[in-house]
Amino acid sequence: MMPADKTVKAANIIETEGVGKEFNGVWVLKDIDFSLRPGEIHSLVGENGAGKSTFIKILSGVYQPSSGSIKIDGSPITFHNVRHSESFGIRTVHQEINLVPFFNVYENIFIGTEQKKNILGIGVLDDRQMKKKAKEVIDKLGVRLDVNKPAHLLNASMQRIVEISKVLVHSPRVIIFDEPTTSLGEEERKRLLEIIKGLKKTGIGIIYISHNLEEVMEISDRITVFRDGCRIDTMDRSEAAPEKIVSMMIGHKSYNEYKREECYKCSEVFIDVKNLSTDKLKGINFSVHKGEILGIAGVVGAGKTEIAKAIFGLDKIQKGEIQLYGGRYQPSCQRAIENGIALVPEERQAQGLIPNYSVMKNITLTYLNKWCSRGVMDSDREIETAREYIDLMSIKTTGYAQLVKFLSGGNQQKVILSRWLNGDFKIGLFDEPTKGIDVKAKEDIYGLMDQLAREGKAIIVLSSYLPELLSISDRIIVVHEGELVGEFDPKEDNAKEKIMHAMLGGRVA
Amino acid sequence: MIGKKLNVGSVDKKEFLRKYGTVMGALIIFTVFSLTARNFFTSTNLLMLLRQMSMLTIISLGFTFVMGAGGFDMSIGNATGLINIIFAIVILNTNSFWIALLAALLVGVTIGVLNGTLVAYIGLPDFIGTFAVGSIIYGVKMLITKGNPIFFNDTVPKIFFFIGQGYVGPIPFPVILMAFFVGLAIFILNKTSLGRRVYAIGGNSIASLYAGINVKRYRLITFIVSGLSVAIASVILTSRLGSAQPLAGEEFLLDAISVVFLSTTMFGDGEPTGSGTFVGALIISMMNNGLTMLNVPYYFQYITKGTVVIFAVVLSVVLGQKLRVKL
Repeated sequence: MMPADKTVKAANIIETEGVGKEFNGVWVLKDIDFSLRPGEIHSLVGENGAGKSTFIKILSGVYQPSSGSIKIDGSPITFHNVRHSESFGIRTVHQEINLVPFFNVYENIFIGTEQKKNILGIGVLDDRQMKKKAKEVIDKLGVRLDVNKPAHLLNASMQRIVEISKVLVHSPRVIIFDEPTTSLGEEERKRLLEIIKGLKKTGIGIIYISHNLEEVMEISDRITVFRDGCRIDTMDRSEAAPEKIVSMMIGHKSYNEYKREECYKCSEVFIDVKNLSTDKLKGINFSVHKGEILGIAGVVGAGKTEIAKAIFGLDKIQKGEIQLYGGRYQPSCQRAIENGIALVPEERQAQGLIPNYSVMKNITLTYLNKWCSRGVMDSDREIETAREYIDLMSIKTTGYAQLVKFLSGGNQQKVILSRWLNGDFKIGLFDEPTKGIDVKAKEDIYGLMDQLAREGKAIIVLSSYLPELLSISDRIIVVHEGELVGEFDPKEDNAKEKIMHAMLGGRVA
Repeated sequence: MIGKKLNVGSVDKKEFLRKYGTVMGALIIFTVFSLTARNFFTSTNLLMLLRQMSMLTIISLGFTFVMGAGGFDMSIGNATGLINIIFAIVILNTNSFWIALLAALLVGVTIGVLNGTLVAYIGLPDFIGTFAVGSIIYGVKMLITKGNPIFFNDTVPKIFFFIGQGYVGPIPFPVILMAFFVGLAIFILNKTSLGRRVYAIGGNSIASLYAGINVKRYRLITFIVSGLSVAIASVILTSRLGSAQPLAGEEFLLDAISVVFLSTTMFGDGEPTGSGTFVGALIISMMNNGLTMLNVPYYFQYITKGTVVIFAVVLSVVLGQKLRVKL
């Protein structure tokens, strides 16, 4: 199969020419020329909806291309399905973690490909063999991990490592990483990047997809930029610079990192959290003023989301209390909303959207009573509102009746934001508001938060992405393992380092 | 943007099948029976068919609410029989149709509250919770009647017989009731905030919770709606039978499940709708009616209905997944 000359090492494993894909007459991917060499990290960047996902789905056999050709080791091939692509050694590490919680590490690694041994002609699971192989793979990654540990006891980065091991036991030639560092904290992110670099050294060709340009710049040999279904350019890392990539990604528009200029903080305290303790939180104290943006920093699993959940009445409070506008408040979802609290949840798909509902129905869901009298919906007014917000938030959609599941991540997030903007909330909880969304939408959302603070709302942003918090917050508090470990002014000297230190568990004196 | 124009070229045909396949199925069944069963396509039989299906339709409408919110109700078959008995006992003792109706509705609400509390508030899985309630109801029925039917005497108010047996012009009264409730259900599910919230919960209950919907309360409401619709159907049934049978209405469980699954296959969104439920009830009732007219033995009717359920569910799952392929 493979040509026997010595230049094999430099030859492309994958080569595509003019690959395109159309759905129902719409070309979502056009004319993609792409190549991948062994031992190379080739990154794909582009805004959501630029065509990266469609392209890797073609490479991994999920979709068949509508035009163009794919060559593996120089011979043309059409993948019929995922199995077929896998038989050529192409494997994908998906963005979502897909582990069986109570299965232990090696069982998860071999799920669907269990090794068997023959006892009296019956195939029986060969646990010893599986454990051995799992250990080998994990050792190769330079990670210490007990293969007998159940998956639900692992933290996010270890779970990611199990996902990678799942792929590695098949000795792949190509690994596609789809946003592998999402939901990882800074330290874990670095470790994962090291691991990926290690894999590259073993000669595996790596296709890397990420929204994080720092990461892409650090790790890639080559970078390909996608926009609107087209390949804009492919560069060596040496020719690439973040500003250049960003300008290619967003086209003509120029992009500056968002920087908040003014602070609109008033003296009035909107929310005062006193000694708050839940299952996951221990004695949290903080308050937020009218017009203020408070950043809550912490690595994934540190307890940020739990703070938001406790305030919104989703988690039971064991000790302590929350005061709103100087008065008592017994949290429940309904009372939270009545008291002007809005929550933009971390998991857009699972916690935010009704996927089969239209853009309009998703926008009006929370304050539904605004558009109905005696329980009957006033559809004209509802449509009017939906159109108004689609316009106001520049939501890219075919219309208010389009199902929300067909929108890109950034636009979905704008739908959820619109839902709350209808209600004139006073305290906004934004949990990882820009997770997995494109540059332009991110900028829009930062601008929106700034504007909301200016209008006199109290904003709480929870994020594990520090640059974001530094640019948007008036004040940053840090949680670590359910405890508050520090408070910082983002403008103070070395704020970034100090906060990072605190996030990773170093207490502030 | 992606997914812009869904109605282009060859998609039209598929779209059409996806949306109206079930309606076409109903038309085909109708045509086949009209051609094969001699007395099927007569005004007498068609009116009888409509009258026959009124009870199933009304029960299935309640079930549509439960399933619209992502739930399931296994107690409806047994509940029909219990309400049937309570209604009969009250009317015999008070001689008042209205008091008996009130009692029937109250029992329906009680069963709904019981189901809803167990499932939505305490958190039992729907199948287990409502199945257990159904079992309890069965026991209570037998306790009250010792398995014996209750017959009515002549003193029972006339209006009682009118409910199930009366006519307005040529139209049987239960058909008018059915039409009213079908319209009401379509209205509530499509045009009110209640309907909007019910489907939101069915679409994603966690996101509904985060959006501030009182998920538990609305799920409870759907079970109460189910209980009420069983009560109404029960009253019609009692009047039609002219007696109360402890085992009456047990076949409604399987039939209503079939109906609502057929309903989910309509319009291709994977959610049951008011109009879809009407078409589903029409299909199941036509099969009951037509197969009987063709002298197909009753056991074969069960086999046919089971097959239809499998077909409908497979169809709704396959269509649902096809639809869910992300563009």
